[in-house]
Amino acid sequence: MEISNLVAWIKAIPGVTAADWHGGDLWVEAPALDVEAMGRAMITYGIRLGTVTGTPVSEDGETDIIYHYIAGECVFINVRTRTRNGALASLSAIARPASWAEREIKDLLGVTFPGHPDPRPLLRPSGFEDGMFRAPMSKSRQNPRQES
Amino acid sequence: MAYTVPLGPYHPALEEPFKVNVQCEGEVIQTCRIDVGFSFRGIELLAQSRNWLEVITLIERVCGICSNTHAMTFCMACEQIAGIQVPRRAQYIRTIIAELERLHSHLLWAGIGAEDIGFHSLFMEIFTLREKIMDTLETVTGNRVNYGMNRIGGVLRDIENPKDFIASLESVAEVLHKVVIPAFIENPTARSRLTGIGPLSREKAIEWGVVGPVARASGLDMDVRKDHPYLAYADLGFKSIARTEGDVFARVVVRALEIAESVRLVIEGLHNLPEGPLCEQRGIPTMPAGEATMRTEAPRGECLYYVESQGGPTPARVKIRTPSFVNIPAVEPMVLGQQLADLSLIQASVDPCLSCTDR
Repeated sequence: MEISNLVAWIKAIPGVTAADWHGGDLWVEAPALDVEAMGRAMITYGIRLGTVTGTPVSEDGETDIIYHYIAGECVFINVRTRTRNGALASLSAIARPASWAEREIKDLLGVTFPGHPDPRPLLRPSGFEDGMFRAPMSKSRQNPRQES
Repeated sequence: MAYTVPLGPYHPALEEPFKVNVQCEGEVIQTCRIDVGFSFRGIELLAQSRNWLEVITLIERVCGICSNTHAMTFCMACEQIAGIQVPRRAQYIRTIIAELERLHSHLLWAGIGAEDIGFHSLFMEIFTLREKIMDTLETVTGNRVNYGMNRIGGVLRDIENPKDFIASLESVAEVLHKVVIPAFIENPTARSRLTGIGPLSREKAIEWGVVGPVARASGLDMDVRKDHPYLAYADLGFKSIARTEGDVFARVVVRALEIAESVRLVIEGLHNLPEGPLCEQRGIPTMPAGEATMRTEAPRGECLYYVESQGGPTPARVKIRTPSFVNIPAVEPMVLGQQLADLSLIQASVDPCLSCTDR
């Protein structure tokens, strides 16, 4: 896969609506991303998954999910999508590095990943519920601390 | 009859708490389950309530070993968002500190590894060397851990007399080449204890997404310093180290040879430290809205940060993916079919960092 062909190829993944270079990295918008189709396409071209970031859009709403891929060990491909009713298809069966990342997002933000082969808590201490960081993370994003 | 053996979360073979549950038939491991989270501190959430200056101090506490890596990678992501160009002298100083950090991290691991295989005299030799590195770090930064060297836009402290450190580092290099590297690579007792155990094939390394020395020992020649050079690595002519065997011995060899390469990089950096300012700006930086992803090569492998700014006084999101987060799960394929007696050595061979993993 030539880096110059990356944008056209990425745009062919089901659900991708835009792909632009920014800061030397490729940022991809895909609100209705077909997660499994993306995972299979990346493996086909030897593009590895670095990690997955979850960010709550609001306390009770959806969660932005960014898949951080690394192409040719030199270019980030950041694919941003959003949960649907608090859930998103699991990538873990296709890409093992997604497994712990998805378990962490479930612990901290309460996102469920149907199809995850081992959805046990990863970091969440006993006595806490899934989504333990959802409210405080949303609050600090919407009302950041002001400097006096 | 199958039986289950828990290693950890608190055990003399573990540097930090995590749990490896294995089920055995006789002495052979059949299944493995790994539990982490015993050092969870919620640093990513805390980062959203610190200003852009305070958050560097917080981020540096992700890990007590690769603390500089975290602060540096975070600052580099912020610099990308703000479009800040770091002065060359600061880039060299960051490189020197990063390699000194890799040295003390690898030497810590090598010393513990020597102790794990009962090679006590080698442990003493390695820790004597490590003290020289710690003394160098303390003289340069004022601290043995959490060096406080990084700020957004550059570094906080200069290395005023760089050539003063070269003699000590050359003596470290001499002992490395004459004693430590041959002890791990050529000593028949060490070789026989380490060879062939805990295998991870190249295919499995790709499947599990491992990084750093674990990946390089399985034939994946990936290193951010080589693949996407940052700071002064392109100037200093960095050479990556890789092996193809994929066993514990290969992981030992990769790290042992990387120690020598790090010493060379530090000496080269001190010799060629350019003149110039340490930072582009003063005070608390004003960060524009934006987002960035950043990778650096930590001692244990690729360290990945995602930072989002909404233009406010605090970060809107800081995501940290440490190398141990992807290397520790790969202990599972390494131990299957292996002897129970080798379990502690195999898990140690990935150099697991739980402070990093749990954050």
